[in-house]
Amino acid sequence: MSNTDIVLAMFRLRISFLLMDLVRHLAYFVAVAEELHFGNAAARLGMAQPPLSQRVKRLEEELGVRLFDRSSRQVALTEAGRLLLPEAREIVLRVERLRDLVGGAADGAGTTVRAAVPSDLGGAVLAALIAGFRARCPGVRLSLAEMGTAAQAAALLDGGLDVGVLRHPVTASGLGFGPVLVQHPGVLLPEGDELASWSAVHLADLAGRALVLFPRESEPGLHDETLATCRRHGFAPVEVSPAANAGFALGLVLSGTAVALGPPAGVPGTVWRPLAGAPIAWRCSTAWRGEPGPHVGDFTAVAVRVLREDAGMADDAAAPARRVAPRPATGFLA
Amino acid sequence: MNAIEQVFRSAGVSGRLHVADIDGGAEVAVGADEPVVLASVFKVPLVVELHRQADLGLLDLAERVRVPAEDRTPGPTGLSAMLDGAVLSLRDLAYLMMAVSDNTAADAVLARVGLGAVNAMLAGLGLPGTRVEHDCRGLFARMLADAGVSDMAALAEASTDPAVVARLRVLSPAHTNRGTPREMTRLLGMIWRDEAASPGSCAAIRRLMGLQVWPHRLSSGFPFDDVAVSGKTGTLATLRNEVGVVEYPDGGRYAVAVFTRSHGTAQNQPRADAAVGSAARIAIDHLRARTTAHI
Repeated sequence: MSNTDIVLAMFRLRISFLLMDLVRHLAYFVAVAEELHFGNAAARLGMAQPPLSQRVKRLEEELGVRLFDRSSRQVALTEAGRLLLPEAREIVLRVERLRDLVGGAADGAGTTVRAAVPSDLGGAVLAALIAGFRARCPGVRLSLAEMGTAAQAAALLDGGLDVGVLRHPVTASGLGFGPVLVQHPGVLLPEGDELASWSAVHLADLAGRALVLFPRESEPGLHDETLATCRRHGFAPVEVSPAANAGFALGLVLSGTAVALGPPAGVPGTVWRPLAGAPIAWRCSTAWRGEPGPHVGDFTAVAVRVLREDAGMADDAAAPARRVAPRPATGFLA
Repeated sequence: MNAIEQVFRSAGVSGRLHVADIDGGAEVAVGADEPVVLASVFKVPLVVELHRQADLGLLDLAERVRVPAEDRTPGPTGLSAMLDGAVLSLRDLAYLMMAVSDNTAADAVLARVGLGAVNAMLAGLGLPGTRVEHDCRGLFARMLADAGVSDMAALAEASTDPAVVARLRVLSPAHTNRGTPREMTRLLGMIWRDEAASPGSCAAIRRLMGLQVWPHRLSSGFPFDDVAVSGKTGTLATLRNEVGVVEYPDGGRYAVAVFTRSHGTAQNQPRADAAVGSAARIAIDHLRARTTAHI
């Protein structure tokens, strides 16, 4: 090893210390920014308050800006602090993930992937998803939660979730998406409904009926898009009942109160019919924040296969391209 | 949930709002100090700086600017949509930039006054959260790079793809022209109280904002012939914004800043447009009820 090499090695070491120090300081900043209270943040970090205040101060000196306005009673983020917060959170989480990853690789086990799926995925599909992931990543624990798209997007962005299966359209800056799969829902009618004698139903045939649909709070994008398509094709539901679970929706269909949209379902007492011309497209994909980790990739691969094989979804590649007819009032930077 | 959030929710958007009585302290705030993406609303600080430089004698508003046919910033209106070379005065460029949000006109004005000067003016007026990072051309260059497409038609279509929307840095306040609803109403208050520039210049800016053509956003909330609505919209992918001033015949005048972000990715969002007007109306009705109750 030449002298130059030794000096370079020392520099690298110094840089790595500096970097780790910066990450730690950013973590302190994030804790204070989230609590807006130095005492609470210190308690959360398991440290005393004076060193926490000192370190936040040092970070402010290092960055050359004030991050907090400290009045006697209140701590508030400055403009610079507000801008830094999402970036700092990102860095801290990434470094944590990096540690988990390296730790997991060294142990060969002990890693947990926190994933979420929509509530109406169906028992069989969910079971296939879990079995598929276990077979692919035997050492990794899969922690699954039931969550709508809006909640998933929020949890992915704040780091509470590693990967989700969510419905499009969703708009959230910073999310990455797996391959998009598409499904064309049909209509679920009560047995004996006059429309059951047709092999396919036109949306306009449903005029005058009520519709039971997933709640708008959990699927804001798809809910509105679905209703817009129904109305465009002549079906303006007299009432839209939100249903968070399949049992409730089924009850409304069985009683003749409303019709439901969805994939083929062989439920006694009901008849499923495709919609003529497949006017409605429901799209879904896996989603994650930032760069996907290896297990996110595994989960995506399994989810895509299971959704295709067990849930009757198809690749979106064949779907017609979206067309945007320009209008000046909605053009970019109008 | 309050009525304003209810309006945003039923339009399928999340929204931030600040409405302030220009001649008093009363206000309505919903996320009013959150950083927001200005989109074309950045043309308001730009038109203010243009007039301040005219006040200082740094430029002449009647000065002629050549806008060659081959050097146009993309956009659906004004010079951006016109085909032939043109020569216009700075103040007529300002008219196009404010009345129809002409991007080419805005970039020509910004090239004359300078980005640094706009930011220095904002800092000087005590608006630290408001900043202009790029002109329209620079913003589009960023969008094309993030979307991985090469022309604006492809960009319009790509921007309805949620995966592309998630990648667009210009939808994050930290990476583009930004402000806060409260700072926008403060700037409008200064324009309407003749504090942002000389009284003559403030009057000229108010005239331009009153000439804006769009009826679908802020204006839609006030379907009254005797109420004046002046404003500047901002539109970009999922964002539908407008800032402006609403003036009642009894002298009541209110600065409004509404910034919305839709859950869906459709380019045409008439309900989001209307929600900007409805939310502003609820806030102003609230302020006016309060005022009359106190009189």
